[in-house]
Amino acid sequence: MSDILDLLSHDTRLHFEELLNLSGLHQDEVHELIELGFLQTHEENDVRFFSTQSLVQARRAARLRRDFDLNISGMVLALSYLERIDVLERRIKELECHLLG
Amino acid sequence: MKYKDYYAILGVERGADEDAIKKAYRKLARKYHPDVSKESGAEEKFKEVAEAYQTLSDKEKRAAYDQLGSHRNGEDFRPSQDWETRFGQSGMDDFDLSDLFSHLGGFGRQTRRGGFSMPGQDYEVEARISIEDAAQGTELDLNFEAPSLDDRGRTRRTQKQLHIRVPKGVVDGQRLRVPGKGGPGVQGGPPGDLYLNIGFMPHRLFKTTGHDLYLELPLAPWEAVLGAEIEVPTLEGTLKVRVKPGARAGQKLRLAEKGLPKPKGGAGDLYCVLQIAMPEKTNEAEKALYEQLQRESKFDPRQHFKAGRA
Repeated sequence: MSDILDLLSHDTRLHFEELLNLSGLHQDEVHELIELGFLQTHEENDVRFFSTQSLVQARRAARLRRDFDLNISGMVLALSYLERIDVLERRIKELECHLLG
Repeated sequence: MKYKDYYAILGVERGADEDAIKKAYRKLARKYHPDVSKESGAEEKFKEVAEAYQTLSDKEKRAAYDQLGSHRNGEDFRPSQDWETRFGQSGMDDFDLSDLFSHLGGFGRQTRRGGFSMPGQDYEVEARISIEDAAQGTELDLNFEAPSLDDRGRTRRTQKQLHIRVPKGVVDGQRLRVPGKGGPGVQGGPPGDLYLNIGFMPHRLFKTTGHDLYLELPLAPWEAVLGAEIEVPTLEGTLKVRVKPGARAGQKLRLAEKGLPKPKGGAGDLYCVLQIAMPEKTNEAEKALYEQLQRESKFDPRQHFKAGRA
């Protein structure tokens, strides 16, 4: 069973409904995460799209909420710390590149 | 099938109450949750903990588990005939312990009664590729084990194989989603998705951040002083680079668009980070030249130590 998948053709943009279904988040949670800037959206002809990156982020949010039994403010707090860690880790990687040798 | 001591996994007594089980779970989740922990093996450990908690936090599942009796962790066992009749599940050899309880409790019962369609499980797979593969695009054969539900709603572990074409332009740490390639849906639900976590293998010469490449460019002391024209390796052959006289360690030379290609055209940059390299051994003639330089030069690299002194 071999299945060739061309990932480029799947570099899709997701609709709001798709993001809801795929992430398992509630509608209100998605709205709040957009407002707080955790989920980036792109608009085209008045239709809102999400990237795969946003989906990954939304799934992380849902996972945290479920596994730690969090409410939305707890989820937002956890996400903001994790995002900060992501930024710091990227920064460390960047600095390591500058400090070769 | 192998027995798993869920109580031991959570570190609680067999008679522990709901509250103690919840607390133990929270503590371990904080330690091993894959979104929080960077410990190696954390994800596997969390799966174990979550499995133990899922069973012990559900009254019905816990009762069924307790009825299996107490065995050593990892011990081979089979549920008794009596147990199988009572809980409506037979323990086949290739079953995982958790499969015994998957039809009990909250969610399982709904599936059994029908009418509830559920999307299939998402799979997450790690893929390590080289920087060259990322630049050119590549094809990967993925082999992984994934849980899936059979037609009776029981979890089985099956070997999966996928052949995947990774487009050029991916970066280290990127997640790619392959819709519909996760587990099959339950009762008419859509299939899950496959998430591919791309990681780069270490490269002999280059490091990356995003689409930018970094290359350490060592210079001899005289090259740094006098300037030089140097052949620099890139992903597509070598390139001549001019280093201006008076180069300092840590300076970066940017070669525009010589980094990793971006998916929608264009490319990152290649940064050469200058280093001043010293020979391991210096012969007499070289030493004499340095001594001459020492006498001639007025250069004081520690001028700033004296600044502000009266």
